[in-house]
Amino acid sequence: MKKTYYPRLDETLCSTVLPNGLTVLVLPKPGFTRKIAYFVTNYGSVHTAFTMDGKHYTTPAGVAHYLEHKMFDLPGRDVTEEFAALGASPNAFTSYGMTAYYFSCTDNFTPALRLLLEFVSTPYFTEESVEKERGIIAQEILMYADSADSVVVEEMNRGLYAHHPVRVPIAGTVESIQDITPQTLYDCHRAFYHPANMVLCVVGDVDPGEVAAIAEELLPRERHSVAVPDYGPAEPENAVTAVSRQEMDVAMTTFQLAFKCPAPPTGPEFARQELVAALAAEMLFGQSSQLYQWLYEDGFIDSSFGGGEEFGAGTAILTCGGDSRDPEEVRNCILNEAKYLAENGLDQAAFDRVKRSFLGIRFKNLTSFDGTCFRLVAYHMEGCDFFDFPKLFESVTIDEVRQYIADNVRPETCSLAIVDPRGKLKVDN
Amino acid sequence: MIQTINLTPGVVLRHYPDHRFKTAILSVQLLRPMCREEAALNALLSSVLLRGCKNYPDMRAITARQDELYGVSVSPLLRRVGNIQTVGLFCGFLEDRFALPGEQIMAPAFELLRQLLLEPKTVEGCFDPEFVESEKRNLIADIESELNDKRSYAATQMLRHLCDGDSFAVPIRGTVEDVRAITPRSLYEHYQKILRTSPAEIFYVGSASAEETARCLMPLANALAAEPMALPEQTTLNLTAPEREFSETMDINQGKLSMGFVTPVDYWHPDYIAMQVFNAVYGAGMTSKLFMNVREKLSLCYYAGSGYYGSKGIVTVSSGIDECNYETAKAEILRQLQLTADGQITDAELSAAKSAIISGLRSVPDSPRALEGFYGTLYLCGRTDDLRERIEAVERVTAEDVARCAGTLKLHTVFFLKGEAK
Repeated sequence: MKKTYYPRLDETLCSTVLPNGLTVLVLPKPGFTRKIAYFVTNYGSVHTAFTMDGKHYTTPAGVAHYLEHKMFDLPGRDVTEEFAALGASPNAFTSYGMTAYYFSCTDNFTPALRLLLEFVSTPYFTEESVEKERGIIAQEILMYADSADSVVVEEMNRGLYAHHPVRVPIAGTVESIQDITPQTLYDCHRAFYHPANMVLCVVGDVDPGEVAAIAEELLPRERHSVAVPDYGPAEPENAVTAVSRQEMDVAMTTFQLAFKCPAPPTGPEFARQELVAALAAEMLFGQSSQLYQWLYEDGFIDSSFGGGEEFGAGTAILTCGGDSRDPEEVRNCILNEAKYLAENGLDQAAFDRVKRSFLGIRFKNLTSFDGTCFRLVAYHMEGCDFFDFPKLFESVTIDEVRQYIADNVRPETCSLAIVDPRGKLKVDN
Repeated sequence: MIQTINLTPGVVLRHYPDHRFKTAILSVQLLRPMCREEAALNALLSSVLLRGCKNYPDMRAITARQDELYGVSVSPLLRRVGNIQTVGLFCGFLEDRFALPGEQIMAPAFELLRQLLLEPKTVEGCFDPEFVESEKRNLIADIESELNDKRSYAATQMLRHLCDGDSFAVPIRGTVEDVRAITPRSLYEHYQKILRTSPAEIFYVGSASAEETARCLMPLANALAAEPMALPEQTTLNLTAPEREFSETMDINQGKLSMGFVTPVDYWHPDYIAMQVFNAVYGAGMTSKLFMNVREKLSLCYYAGSGYYGSKGIVTVSSGIDECNYETAKAEILRQLQLTADGQITDAELSAAKSAIISGLRSVPDSPRALEGFYGTLYLCGRTDDLRERIEAVERVTAEDVARCAGTLKLHTVFFLKGEAK
């Protein structure tokens, strides 16, 4: 395996690409007891339409998430119980751009890794088991529908995008999942779960060579063609809906606000542009900004306010949200401040401090195995090396960040989703 | 291993040396009785302190200082540990070796913490009224927004009834009325009182030596706990509330069921560790009886799980269900408990439960936060068993122990948050 030492991070990353196309990343952590492994496919909720072997497929919204639930079935076996018997706890999540399966353990790492690779690469779906899952997933979807925090994010996405599949919730809708059959799941597994479309990443005190050898032994040998996702027509530059508003049983008005940015590039430029966007968000409305101070002191935002950049699945936004008595005023203030910064430039001393703080926080985050493992995978899938971040910080300039704000934080790119409280709750007895 | 150093008669430093992390952490906890009179004041205090001090008079100045120190994080800390409430600050910072050559992080971070705790911005001898008013608004909004998370709202409603008359029923942040009644003066007087009378626990994880850590903390420690008060004893639940099954209606899609059981097995009971294993077998995690049966086998819900509050001897079960499944789900939850009490526990269930707990305990030393969470509360409960002893105790638990624990549970309160008929 290739070993790369990163002196500023004091970390060594081992990596290799197997003949079947699987990328294997191992970050050895001598002296630690805990070990985690992520097995991730570059397939998320947005990949509903795609072409494979010359044939075009359109699948129901929510299929990636449904598949994630059903992957845990193996014929006559209970994967969760097998992990539990090894003292390992498995889990999985589906995002817009990826589906990840992972476990953490302190003992029995090798058999747990074998089990992870085995179950994710073995599709097994029956009419009965797929049917049974429908009720569980419908409950999950209804649970999100009761959460104002989820509702504002979904509404925001619908307000930002005209066609892009991030308009649809990751789990789909109660209606869309009715159309999912075992055949849908087999098709999608075949299209996206082959090694060339996946990454295996391990963090912990393990033997990197052994990890690669196990993956090579258990996964298919041959390399398949990769399905080509279809995101639909090109997105307009501007947002679709400026404001959406609805009522729910919540105590206080809550909102999510976003500015639509150009689709991010792939390769090393991805990480760079993401950092520019992150710094832009912090300089504009982050905790160290003048605007945050004003909004907080005037009671327009409180400690629930937060935001930043979100890049992935072919989309990029600057976003913030939280509770507020007047979200539209928050939006207006941000737009005014953006205009001011675009015209008058950013404060150099403040910019240097924010850069130093962000750099320090990225170093600090390396203390978390899960965060590190996830970022290694996510950046790899965008074609860049997460551990290169110290160099990126040196190269990003204040004017790039100012320009990013000027280009992207405008009334036309903005979408605001609001949930207001309604009638008081009634007590029965 | 952990070294305990009495910095002053009322201030204890727990020093956990570890060179493996990039982040070091420090928590400062002032110990108070958990009571209605103080809860809102304690909850408000840290957020007011984080609004400004003499040298850094507003949030922007504080954040700028945090940024200069490579993004040191300072957050309010408010915990309930049985009959004790702790209030203070939690701080996470990059280890000095990752700073630019010649720069330090730890010593100036501790100094920042000291200034935030001891030198607040004052106006006419009180806290800045603007800070107090706006943090009161925030705290009230926080308390009111309990309503937004329906799952925890249901659990809270259930526990407030079950624990009526015990400190466990006191809302950790007080009530909206309590917060409204606070003035800059009453908060400042409370602040001076708690600096003077609260015993303090300081917890550090990082690469600095105990001597160095203690030296950097002395300026803070010297200003705390001049007259340390006696804290309330830890006691099991004072059960006075009548048994009850009740409900509320909200405009929601998914109903939230919350059930409360009482048990004599509390933190200080010989079966405490066995009760943790019981909780794992019954309702914690994806191999538990509740998850496997109520969710997987019967598809009655999206989640079903149990929790164990050792400091009060309470087990809770919560589940998200359709209203039409209310009786079925409740019956199944009780049936699974009866099966456990009858000893119907497979070797696989027992060993999975024990492995999960042991794996969790073995992972604690791999994370500064987990270490703080474990030891930061351990001593306050008057237990001294270290991680290794606890792991050994889990290993010894048998199926009979688990069944015996299950048999002690008595259902007391059931709360259901249901959707409006449409």
